[in-house]
Parts: sequence; C-alpha cells; structure tokens
Amino acid sequence: MVEFTLSITGLHARNESTIQATQDWERGRIGSAALSAAFRADCDSLVALQSEVGADYISDGQLGTGWQDFLRPLTNGLHGVKKGAMVRWYNTNTFYYAPVVSGPISSKGGAVWSKLERRHVKKGRFRVAIPDPLTFSDLAEDHHYGSKEKLMFAYSDALRDELLTLSENGVAYVQFSSPALVARFRDKAVSRDRLGQLGEAIRSATRGSSMRTGFHTIFGDASHHIPGIFDAIPTDDVGFDFTQTDPASLSGTKKGIIAGVADARSTYLESIEELHETVEQVIDTTGSKRVTIAPSSDLRFIPRVSADEKLRRLGALKRELGER
Amino acid sequence: MSKAFPTQEIGSLPKFGWRTKPFRQMGLDDEDLRSAKLWGERMSVPGTLRLLKLLSKRADFSEEEKKEIVDFSLLYAIRMCEMAGAELTEHQGLDLVWSGEQARTEMYETPVSNIGGFEFIGKVRSFDNKYWRMASIRGSPSYKNNYHIDELLFTQKHAKRKVKVPVTDAITIMAWSDNHYYTAKWAREKVSPLRKSFNARREFTLELAGIIRKVVRELIEGGVEEVQIDIPAATQYQSVDDIKLVAESFNETTKGLSATFSVHSCFPPAVGYEILFPQILEMKKCERFSFEYGNRDGYRRGVDDDARPGLTDLKLFKEYGYRKGLGVGVIHIHTDKLPSVGVVRDRILYAARATDLDPKELYVNPDCGLRTRKPEVAQRMLDLVVAGADKARGVSSSD
Repeated sequence: MVEFTLSITGLHARNESTIQATQDWERGRIGSAALSAAFRADCDSLVALQSEVGADYISDGQLGTGWQDFLRPLTNGLHGVKKGAMVRWYNTNTFYYAPVVSGPISSKGGAVWSKLERRHVKKGRFRVAIPDPLTFSDLAEDHHYGSKEKLMFAYSDALRDELLTLSENGVAYVQFSSPALVARFRDKAVSRDRLGQLGEAIRSATRGSSMRTGFHTIFGDASHHIPGIFDAIPTDDVGFDFTQTDPASLSGTKKGIIAGVADARSTYLESIEELHETVEQVIDTTGSKRVTIAPSSDLRFIPRVSADEKLRRLGALKRELGER
Repeated sequence: MSKAFPTQEIGSLPKFGWRTKPFRQMGLDDEDLRSAKLWGERMSVPGTLRLLKLLSKRADFSEEEKKEIVDFSLLYAIRMCEMAGAELTEHQGLDLVWSGEQARTEMYETPVSNIGGFEFIGKVRSFDNKYWRMASIRGSPSYKNNYHIDELLFTQKHAKRKVKVPVTDAITIMAWSDNHYYTAKWAREKVSPLRKSFNARREFTLELAGIIRKVVRELIEGGVEEVQIDIPAATQYQSVDDIKLVAESFNETTKGLSATFSVHSCFPPAVGYEILFPQILEMKKCERFSFEYGNRDGYRRGVDDDARPGLTDLKLFKEYGYRKGLGVGVIHIHTDKLPSVGVVRDRILYAARATDLDPKELYVNPDCGLRTRKPEVAQRMLDLVVAGADKARGVSSSD
C-alpha cells in the first residue's frame, strides 16, 4: 500500500495584491504596516488553499521580503557572509545576490526561523525549503575557506543551528533544494565522491533535529545519480523534477519520493491522466511506499493564479490516487 | 569608429514621472513640472516651453497630447545621451545613441503586445520587488505590426549622433514567456522529458525569429545602420543545445539582412559567460558583443586580475581567437553606488589588455539599460562612461 502525500516545494508566487503593495511601498505610497498586512493576507490565502487541496505539510510559501531570493536569509543572516553581485538563478529569469564568504561561517540559529510566518507553524505540519550545502557552496564567492568542500561543511555546520531552532519551534519538515546537483554546466556531473560528501554534509546539518527531511533535485536530470543518490543522501525523502528526469531511470528504494510531476515552469495544466501515469511509473520503478505529489520546483516562476491552479490539480490527483 | 574606446548606451533610460503618469491615469504634481523644466533647460531640449505648457494641464490628457508627451520623452533621452560626460570631462556625448526606449512599455512587453498569439497572464518576480508581466503563448505567433518603426524614424530625425536601435530577440521572448502552446504540443510525444522541453523551446524560438526578422528588415529599410539584438536571456537555458539555439536564433533573425549587428546580454549564471562559448561565435553577422561586467567587479583601482575580478571573463574572447568588436559594461546598473572615473578607466584598460583588441573596436557602456535608476543617477552613469573612456584615451579629467 502506497501512502500519498502532497506539498509545495519552495517559494511560491506572490499574489497581485502583494505585488502591488511591494511596488507601492517602494514608491513611498504605503508604509511598512500596510506592506506587512498584504504579505500576511497573501500567506493566509496560500495556507487556506493548501488545506483545501489536502496538503499534508503546510508552507507559508516563503513569500515575505526576507526571501527576496532563495539564499537571502542565509546571505543576510549567517555570520561571515555578505551580499555580492547579482547572478542568474539557474535556468530562470530570476536573480539572486551571490553570498560572499569573507570569514568563518557561523549561525545564531535564527536566520531562517526569523523569516517564516511563525503563526502558521503548527506542530507536525509546517515545512520549509532551504538551499542544500552543495548549492550554497557552488554559488558562494569564497574568500575564506579556499575549497568548495570546506565551505560546504562550514555551511552545513551553521545549518545545524538553524535546523535545531526550526525543530525546537515545531517545524516538522525541512527540504533541501538542490539545483546544483543536477543543473550542471556542460553536463559536468557531480562525482560519486562529491555526492558522498554532500550526504555527509546533510547528515551533519540534520544531527540533533527531529524533523522529517527531504532532498529535492530541481531544474535538471538526476538520472546520472541513480541509484547512488538513494544511498548517499541521508534524508527521508528524495525528490525529482520529472519535467527533466525520466521516471524510467529511477531504481528501487525504501525512501519516500518527492514526485515533481507538475511542470512548475509552465501554465500548461497537465491532465490527471498524464500526472497519474507519471506517478504510476515512479511507483513501478522505485517500489517506494510513500510518494509526495509535488510541483517540479518552486511555484514562483509563473503568476500566482496559475501556480494555485497547479496546486489544485495536484490536490485532485491526490484524491484520485487515494481512491484507487 | 575612428577613435579608441567609443561609447554607447545599451537601451533603456529612466522615464520621468510626467512621461508615465498620464498613461496611468495619474495627475501630475509640482515635482513633475519642476523636473521637466529643470532637465529641459539643463539639456537644452528644443521645445521645452511647449512641453511645460502641455504638462500644465496636469491631467486628462487626450491621446494626441499623450503622443506628444512621449515624443518629448524621446527628445529628453536623446539629449541625455548627447550630453553625457558634460559634468566630468571636456568631451560630450555618447558615440552611439538611442532614445532610451521611452516609447516602449519595456523591452519584453512591447514586442509581445504586438505579436499575435500571446495573452498576458500576470506578473512574475524577477528579483527583490521587481517583476515582469508574463505573457503566455497560446497559438502560433504571428506578425501584427512593426512596433519600433515610429520611434526609429523620430529618433533618426532628431539625433545628432549615430543611432543604434535595440531589438529584443526571439530567445528572450521565449524564455520570459509562458510556453503553454508548445509545451502542450510536445506533452504527449514519446520522447524523453529533456527532449520534450527543448523541442518546445526551439520550435517557439524559431517561429518568433522569423517575425523579428521582418521587424528588423523594416527598420533597416527605414534607414537604420546599426541594430543591437538584445538577448539578456542568452544564458538562461544552459545545455549545449540551448546555447546552439541562441546562435541559430540570431542567424535566423539576421538572415538575408544587411546592417551592422551587435548583441547585448547580461547577468549570466554563476559560471559566467563561459557558458556561451564557443557556440556564440557562430553568430556570423555579429560585429560586437556588449556584455555586463561592472556588476561583478570591485571598486578599487588597478588593472590586474586581483583588482578587476568582474572582468576576467573577457579573456574568453582572446582564448577563442575572437577579433571583432566588444562592448564592455563598466557600470553596475542595479545600484546607485558609483565607481570613480579612475576605476572606470581601469576597467577599460584592463579590458583592452585582456582582449588584445584594437581599442577602436572596444566600446564602453553601462552594464545594461538604465531604466531602473533615477534620472540623476542614470545621467551620472553615462557621464562616467564618457569620462572613463576619455581618461583611458589619455585625454583629461580628474579621478
């Protein structure tokens, strides 16, 4: 018997009211209180939608200005890191400020926690996505450690304090998002050794916290890392972007699978039949007993209305899978 | 160009409140009128008094009056280009000018509003609190009208310097759009997920390239000698096939056309512009690549690798034996923090050394369009381009 769950997997699109509020705020037409109110209302509507569609873990969408890019809470909140040049975020028309590492990285534990809509953190249900150690060390401009490996482990040590804070405050699920593992320049695949190091870094980061964990590969084909990824990555769930990875390339595993079946980069709404077919393939090839129905990546690359439609479609898929 | 380190703007310039508010059904305030007067006088814009009289109405502008306001904003932008450097050096003006995209909503929205098959579906965040209005392709794209010809003819009539028209390319329109139609078309094909998504991108891009070729052909027939093909999304999709598609799209767009073509791109992923090599060198008719470098550079003086980390990518051109022209972005455009004239000079001299190109083929420009800056900052950035180039030529100006 397969258990099906549903969740979003990262930053969500802001709604039109929030977008307008941020623009009005930048032009001095509204104050900070009105801006915060817009974000709160936006977050509330997203949380309500997740409940409506039957999401098992609830996210605040990581909508706020603390998440101006996916790395920003860590770029701004970790000691030893500051904001650098503006760089393209993988194969998207979105950008981030590169973290510049100028000294030893450390954390007081609140960089991520302080950027969440904490009133929605209910025991057992709240999830958050953060950059995995490989992505951070790949994208950071290092002026201190002198090696990607050292930087990756320093980041994961700092993450441990972040994750302990999240865990102590009732966050139930942390997802490491890893575009860096699969969206590689000129197909230069990450070596097996480096994948092993990444696994160690994640093990180090999660030590002592009690959250369920996931590792989601986005924007690229993960088939090069099958079956090694299941052995190397110590998370409860491993995720795939099935707009890039062929489900037939997967192998058997006892881990849960985050099945990124809905294309988060296009408003084309897949039929339930199409989505169902991909999920069946995933179950057939992995034998996994727990499958999380999910978008292929964050749903922030299409407008909010379309992102919400995708989520509703995934809810319908989950209902159908539950009834089979 | 006959002189070393010629200068150019990349495309957009900021719009004044008096240009934008009438189109948003907002009334003008005293500050709008004050800035129209101040900048009109400062830049000796012909007809400033007529503009001030027009703006004194403050609201309820007719369509004819709105067009006249846009024409004035084109004149202001042309003058801003032609006055650049006046505050900092004895020379004045960029060598290649444009009217700041004042007649366009912006570089994506204007073309997709004028090409058939698109529907706007909502805003998507690009970074921080910046968004673009995304359009979705819902059928085969089709030519509706030439969306740049009027601004070109106006600009050519009023500019005293050589004009370069920027045109958004097919790759960028594809990459910033929701590829609904072609994704659906390929969804049920029995090919790998990677091939499905690439085929959807390629088919969309090449259909668009044919339309943009018609737009560019008409601009050339309108008398323009230089066309800048804007490809900010050149580095967005990063497989080898996608980079080949960037070159293929450019070649399709320029096929059978005769003009000076250049390419602008900016803000690559962490790996830098290496991602484009060597495939971009297959753009047969491209005479100049104008890329952003200032964004990633430091603010201290020096012409060695340590002082100029943002420009080391320029060595790629030499490594691959490139001998045509380059436009070097020497001013980061997403901050108000400005380098000194000396640092701009150092960036230019470093670029000359790293590429080994004839300085006459090494253009100097801001990293990208300046539409996100305030007019005062944009003007200062253009001043720095002109003064830095002067300084690099060994002319005059202080640091």
